[in-house]
Amino acid sequence: MPVSKPHITVHDLRVGWGTRVLMEHITFQVDRGTIFAILGGSGSGKSTLLRYLIGLERPQAGRIDIDGVGEPHRYEGVPPFGVLFQSGALFSSMTLAENLALPLTRWTPIRGATAWELVQAKLDLVGLGPFARHLPGEISGGMKKRAGIARALMLEADLLFFDEPSAGLDPISAVELDQLILTLSRDLGITIVIVTHELPSIFLVADHCIVLDKVAEGIVAEGDPRKLRDESNIPFVHNFFTRSAPGVSADQGG
Amino acid sequence: MSVGIRTDREGDRARIVPTGPFDLAHATTAARAVENAEALLAGCDSVDVDLAQLDRIDGAGAVLLARLLDRLDADGHHASLIEGSNGEAARLIAGYRERRADQPPPQTRAMSLLARIGALAAHLPGKANEALDFTGRCALALPKAAATPNSVDWRSLPRLIQEIGADGLPVASAANLLVGLIIGFLGVSQLGPLGAAAYIPGLVVVAHFRELGPLVTAIVVAGRSGAGLASEIATMTVSEEIDALRSMGFDPVRWLVLPRCLALAATLPLLTWIGDLLALIGGLAAATAFSQMTPRAYIEATGDAITAGHLLAGLVETPFLAVAIGLIACGQGLLTRGGAAAVGARTTTAVVLAIFSVIVISAVFTFFFALLGI
Repeated sequence: MPVSKPHITVHDLRVGWGTRVLMEHITFQVDRGTIFAILGGSGSGKSTLLRYLIGLERPQAGRIDIDGVGEPHRYEGVPPFGVLFQSGALFSSMTLAENLALPLTRWTPIRGATAWELVQAKLDLVGLGPFARHLPGEISGGMKKRAGIARALMLEADLLFFDEPSAGLDPISAVELDQLILTLSRDLGITIVIVTHELPSIFLVADHCIVLDKVAEGIVAEGDPRKLRDESNIPFVHNFFTRSAPGVSADQGG
Repeated sequence: MSVGIRTDREGDRARIVPTGPFDLAHATTAARAVENAEALLAGCDSVDVDLAQLDRIDGAGAVLLARLLDRLDADGHHASLIEGSNGEAARLIAGYRERRADQPPPQTRAMSLLARIGALAAHLPGKANEALDFTGRCALALPKAAATPNSVDWRSLPRLIQEIGADGLPVASAANLLVGLIIGFLGVSQLGPLGAAAYIPGLVVVAHFRELGPLVTAIVVAGRSGAGLASEIATMTVSEEIDALRSMGFDPVRWLVLPRCLALAATLPLLTWIGDLLALIGGLAAATAFSQMTPRAYIEATGDAITAGHLLAGLVETPFLAVAIGLIACGQGLLTRGGAAAVGARTTTAVVLAIFSVIVISAVFTFFFALLGI
């Protein structure tokens, strides 16, 4: 594959609500076809950063650039990426098939049998083939997330964002989901950005990661998660990857 | 043994002995005992806390004693625990003392009236900005929706009309019937003694067709459908469904708000019109039952009183009332942040604002019609 532009470039981004700044000077790049993890403890602003990347929030300062899209919050048109929200965010009054068909009815003229075929193919891809006519309330949490992935794939985006995909799942469902993420990346060549704090999942799937810390209000480390685990001498990063609590120190509240 | 603290004092040395069960069930009594004991310790140099007499202790009791020890230490008393045979209690108390964060208790100072008015006023520009921003986005959504019909959820329109119109018909009709009845009664009691009962049908027509019909129907719809729409959209917001819509390139205003406003604007005039008919029946029932008027005379007088002007003066404002209800309910729903409590709060706000704005808009129309002499 020829050397290409990074899929996502974030330069000097500031993240926050109103006058409150959560993080500053966020700069990183996501290469095409890789699995990129955004890591950090609870409350470090990972999910907030994700909202900026998918264009739900306007940056207070700095710039996000998605290759071929530009700044996500200004973009209008066929969504160039899919998003899996933490809860799956399926529309509870629609069946799985109707949920998946929704992006098609908005952005394509595809209807009827062809639409059904495409929907069914995506459901089969995530292993939910037999559940097309079920309502979200009738399936398990792990299945909802897989259905959310299938819906995110409907418009054939080459970029997917996952918000804590394995949160609230049993270990087996979590591993199945990780396998699905690897399949999407390797077989379909999709660039994937995952927000998570699940260590097993990070070491299994992520090619590259950034670690956010709320005390430092920004990125404290960047690189291959396995290397960071073995080599990093930054205390927060070391504690994060080795699951050790910080020593007796007063500044590490709750 | 009952809960209490015995305090023995010799000069500047004191010994306090908690007795009885120091647990959650007795926490109020225990807290009072701690307070009383503390008052007796003023001026002591050293305090010994003897745990031997404690019947039982749990986390709640241990916290009370731990905080007492903290306060004594902070005031410069030398406080120490005497475990006696009660090592478990000592460990529990020590456990709560170690985990103390330096957080002052939350200030629950009641705001003065003036401060509350100030705080309310300070919020006003933000709220007005929110409302104008949302109205602007809705206005902008109309031409965009016309250009891209796919971006509007047309398929939900029949369901919404069913829910707002057909399902709301019984209660809206009943309300209008009763209001017609009330106007009829008023006519009988006020016009009857003057021998002017013949004017009752005219009164019912003018009062209800022009003013009360649209108002009563809109208030019923604001309460019923306003709450329904606001809570539906608020729940979608809280469960990330709105974010999901936006991430798939849907504009929530076009996809959700527009069909709801359209459904309201289509059904409210119909409900009002049906309500007008029922009010006539209410008026008829009141007048014929309580005055000498015959049904035939009432119907004929009503026929003479109804003009296109009266009917249209009422119906013309209903689409505006409908859109106001829709925008307020959906806008509040989309502004929801937080969890289940936020959904409830936004729904309440939506209903209150919707009913209030319905009354205001109705008054504005009345004022303009009076000004124009219609």
